[in-house]
Amino acid sequence: MQTSTQTAAPSDRSTAFVPVEGGQETTSAEALLITAYIVMWALLLGFLGLGYRRQSRMETRIGELERAMTRGGTSGRTP
Amino acid sequence: MQSRKDLVFYGLLGLTLIAFAVLIGFVFLVAPEAQPQAGGLAQKIFYFHVPAAYAMYVSGAVCFGASALYLAGPSDARDAWAKSGAECAVAFGMLVLTSGPLWAKKAWGVYWTWDPRLTTLLLSVLIYAAVVVLRVFGGGGDAERRFAAALSVLGTVNLPIVHYSVKKWGGNHPTVITQGGGGLSHPDMKTALLLGFVAMTLLVALLLWSRARLALAESRLAALQEQAAAEGLEEAA
Repeated sequence: MQTSTQTAAPSDRSTAFVPVEGGQETTSAEALLITAYIVMWALLLGFLGLGYRRQSRMETRIGELERAMTRGGTSGRTP
Repeated sequence: MQSRKDLVFYGLLGLTLIAFAVLIGFVFLVAPEAQPQAGGLAQKIFYFHVPAAYAMYVSGAVCFGASALYLAGPSDARDAWAKSGAECAVAFGMLVLTSGPLWAKKAWGVYWTWDPRLTTLLLSVLIYAAVVVLRVFGGGGDAERRFAAALSVLGTVNLPIVHYSVKKWGGNHPTVITQGGGGLSHPDMKTALLLGFVAMTLLVALLLWSRARLALAESRLAALQEQAAAEGLEEAA
């Protein structure tokens, strides 16, 4: 897998998979595939989950503030 | 109003999950394994890697549009979409930058090479990361928002360079779709890629919308805290 880079023109390299000179293909495809899927899903679910949790906390806080301000408006300001 | 927004969120989330379930099923049960030069089984990373790059472009475009509009006339909504676009561009950029090297290890024999497309993509992700860091630690004042918007506009200019770098300068990264260099030798592989684009379109819409909603809630909370402090409701604020 390490011989074709010397002869491949830039145009060939952009239309086919050409190994990098000195690179070694030793890792199993299964391990790489599983790692890629775990990392991708962990990133996505983490991003979505953290955002959703932050959104819920923020909405609770906004609700509390709005209620406090409504109370403050009807019963006068706190000293 | 709130429950309607939650309905949109859960509806979009449900559609996205269905689309990804179909995609995963198709990729692993129907789409054939690619030729060894393309990484064999590892080539199945491709059906998420390429759509993730497309989702990054979409996020960058949203960030660019909203930032340009913010510079023309500031508003909380424009700022929220600009911030959301930058955050999603970093998230999808990270997906591309983690899935790509794992596939490259099998197809090229190395995790990373300073190929024009890889280098320009890394630069783009770093620019969007700088925008996000600026927004998180720089405060929410108008000057910071404007600076972040200007940086986003400049950062998005790099995206066409990422896309055309492989055509212009060659390198190891194949021109997968237009030149058939990504191992798309079977019609089912093209269908799998199409499903990948559909699923990733739903996901990027879901993430952009939910992050913009979050940014708007942050602005609303900041305004309420200011108002509460001005009214003497320090305890509540």
